[in-house]
Amino acid sequence: MIQDLIDLLRIIVFPGFLFFAVLGLFFEWIDRKFYAKLQNRVGPLYAGPWGLFQPFADFVKLMAKEDIVPEGADRPLFSSIPVFALALSLFAVLFLPVCGAQGVLSFEGDLIVVTVILTFFVILVFLAGFSSASRYPGVGAERSVLQLLGYEIPLVASVLGAAAVTIQTEGSLQIKSIVETQSSWWSILGIQALGFAIFLLAAQAELERVPFDIPEAETEIVAGWLTEYSGKKLALIRLAKDIELAFLCGLGATLFLGGPQPILPGFVGALSSTIIFVIKSIIVLLILTIIRAAMSRLRIDQMVNFAWKYLVPISILQLLLAVMVPRLIVI
Amino acid sequence: MGLVDWARIRSPWVIHFNTGACNGCDIEVVAALTPRYDVERFGIRLVGSPRHADILIVTGPVTKQVEKRLKRVYEQMPEPKFVMAVGNCCASSGAFRNCYNVYPGLDNVIPVDVYVMGCPPKPEAIINGVVKLIEKLRGGAS
Repeated sequence: MIQDLIDLLRIIVFPGFLFFAVLGLFFEWIDRKFYAKLQNRVGPLYAGPWGLFQPFADFVKLMAKEDIVPEGADRPLFSSIPVFALALSLFAVLFLPVCGAQGVLSFEGDLIVVTVILTFFVILVFLAGFSSASRYPGVGAERSVLQLLGYEIPLVASVLGAAAVTIQTEGSLQIKSIVETQSSWWSILGIQALGFAIFLLAAQAELERVPFDIPEAETEIVAGWLTEYSGKKLALIRLAKDIELAFLCGLGATLFLGGPQPILPGFVGALSSTIIFVIKSIIVLLILTIIRAAMSRLRIDQMVNFAWKYLVPISILQLLLAVMVPRLIVI
Repeated sequence: MGLVDWARIRSPWVIHFNTGACNGCDIEVVAALTPRYDVERFGIRLVGSPRHADILIVTGPVTKQVEKRLKRVYEQMPEPKFVMAVGNCCASSGAFRNCYNVYPGLDNVIPVDVYVMGCPPKPEAIINGVVKLIEKLRGGAS
């Protein structure tokens, strides 16, 4: 009984839903603030201290706005997409090892589930654009799926590359054992540095941020697949995207930066694993923000061209190297 | 002041609609969004879709031709929504007064909350207009 209650609290409050909802909004604030800093601006300032509550203010404002469903839209599908998106991102974060080496959900092969979830996000985007029955969302959804063809293989290859050592030494595809393998040596300190770079690019495309924000290019197709969403639905989608951002940063930190493993050996007692995990995720987030600030949007054909001509071969090479020279990485 | 009013004041998202202006006002609106003035401090963001927006910024004379489109964009915005008329042409038809195809002001077509005069108004004036709008919101809230 007590154990059930603790499990429920683990899912709903601490390393689960509530924690990641807050973390997602916090990450959006860091992203916007640091982005503004890179552009020599101040960024959000007046909503709470240093504008800390700006994403929360946006969320509350959108929740209180009128909720419009376009006349021609597929009503059940259109209305359920935001809920599905939020549920999917909240499900995904349960796999992240926030406190200790394993997340709330942990079983053999959970890495495969995580990669499948990453693809499901795009299916939701596609359905959202499709059910809006409007031209701009349609074009946005089409571009989103086309983009998926470009970045999905590099993403999966970089995730598998990070897991290559664990597969060979323990025959395991579990996030827990990937984290434990990195106790003495982070994956990024070796051949996986290449995998990390590929992961960052693919994550940027998965999150639809510059230079891969082609599906919601506001100067060309209004707001892409989000065009027809308003009010509560938009608020939920934005929250889901924030949580997805936190999830991908956390996944990068887990696979390449050792997740909740201490930053320096012997530093264990000083910082709890949660704080270490969040710090590492923020490092990944800052790199993603620098990419966003330093680049401009590509065209869809340039993106797919780049992905198939360069990113896919490099990611396969990276995977081969990771499989062939694991001993070098483990030491 | 409730939580919702607190949020509404701190997160005004704007959409920019050009009814056929000479681009003078448009350049000033765009200039108001540049890093020099950094309106993101107040939570102001330029959004692409009328469905996401709270404030409709209209520039240019309201012609009979554009009336239908302007109304449609206005109706696509979710409540609560606000309208700013930026520039002399938009607020009072300016140089086009008494033209057969131009309305004497934006308020003949849709309800307007704030008028920003000038030909073109400075970016500071436009930001001041948004601040006036926020004050109006705050006054209505208390």
